[in-house]
Amino acid sequence: MTSAVLACNGMDKVEGAVSREVGLQVADATGGVVICPVLLHHAPARYEKALAENALIVVDGCGTRCASRLAAEVGAKPVQKVLVSKIAKASGRQLEASLRLGTGEMALAEDIVATVIAMLSAPAAPAPSAVAWDAPTDFLVAVFEKFEFRTPRQGYWFSENDTWVRVAGNRARVGVSDYLQQQLTDVQYFDPPSIDAPVEQFGTLGEVESTKAVFELIAPVSGTVVAVNMVVVEESPQLVNEDPYGEGWLVEVELGAWEEERQLLLDGPAYSGTVDRKASEY
Amino acid sequence: MPETTFMGVARGKIPWAPEIDYEKCDFCMECDEFCPHRVFERRDGAVKLVVANPDNCVVFCRACSKTCGPDAITFPDKTQTIKLIKSLRDDEGRA
Repeated sequence: MTSAVLACNGMDKVEGAVSREVGLQVADATGGVVICPVLLHHAPARYEKALAENALIVVDGCGTRCASRLAAEVGAKPVQKVLVSKIAKASGRQLEASLRLGTGEMALAEDIVATVIAMLSAPAAPAPSAVAWDAPTDFLVAVFEKFEFRTPRQGYWFSENDTWVRVAGNRARVGVSDYLQQQLTDVQYFDPPSIDAPVEQFGTLGEVESTKAVFELIAPVSGTVVAVNMVVVEESPQLVNEDPYGEGWLVEVELGAWEEERQLLLDGPAYSGTVDRKASEY
Repeated sequence: MPETTFMGVARGKIPWAPEIDYEKCDFCMECDEFCPHRVFERRDGAVKLVVANPDNCVVFCRACSKTCGPDAITFPDKTQTIKLIKSLRDDEGRA
């Protein structure tokens, strides 16, 4: 599939200038269609065909994430996203305040382009475990006004940051609770952690992005990332909303110190009680 | 109202809250519009936004900082905070 590139072209920040350059270079390298964010906002029909026929790559300049918001506004789901300010920070690069690209900014843009291209041609991610993770059937339900928040009674353990873990042998599956998915509203994208990455308990296992915000997925357990849910990443992020305890799982981890770490987690009934309190204080 | 806890530790003992760098903040209010926990409050005058209720901040949540275009919001070191919480839990267990 060819690509369509939607990049922030923010004219008032250097991150915007870098995004624009990244967008142009990615489009060049992939033979992709360049989407003008301003035109997309004012005349979405202009790009309807391009968005339907191509894999969407979104390039945001800064945390305001205008390009991502715009994609959500027109109901377009990206297959890949990059955030220039985050990459610049992670690489330790200090961007100049000038709105014109200097040598350093151009080098950063080229690095980001290389990363995007490499990810597009990356080999398939490792398959998730062959464990039969049965769908839960017995739920506790916390009711607040018109909302209902479901929590599996057994088999799941929760962090106070509304992420769950279920364990089979030395493997664990991680996802977000029904309460968190309702707080997030429509999930647009899951930026997964790298395979083989180590994670500490309460560390970060990627980011879940919704129309409302970007939330770090707090790891309920430590270990090593062994698989991510590529169906959610590449095709159907809405599974996180539709089936948060089943098909909307996010990451599989090879466990580090489960018996010890379980002491810091909540079981189903305890977590459901926490949700009750959170919902009433929200 | 009973004092809230996080992982069994009194919330007031956990120093987790955003810090605003006023050199960078442009008072766009995106963070305040996002945060449902009323951590921030708006003010009249030169400094138009402050962290008024740090203990309302959800420990380990950094979502407000991800709305920030000028990257003006920082949080304490997470690994150190996890260590602190575990040691406070151990202290309370011994008490």
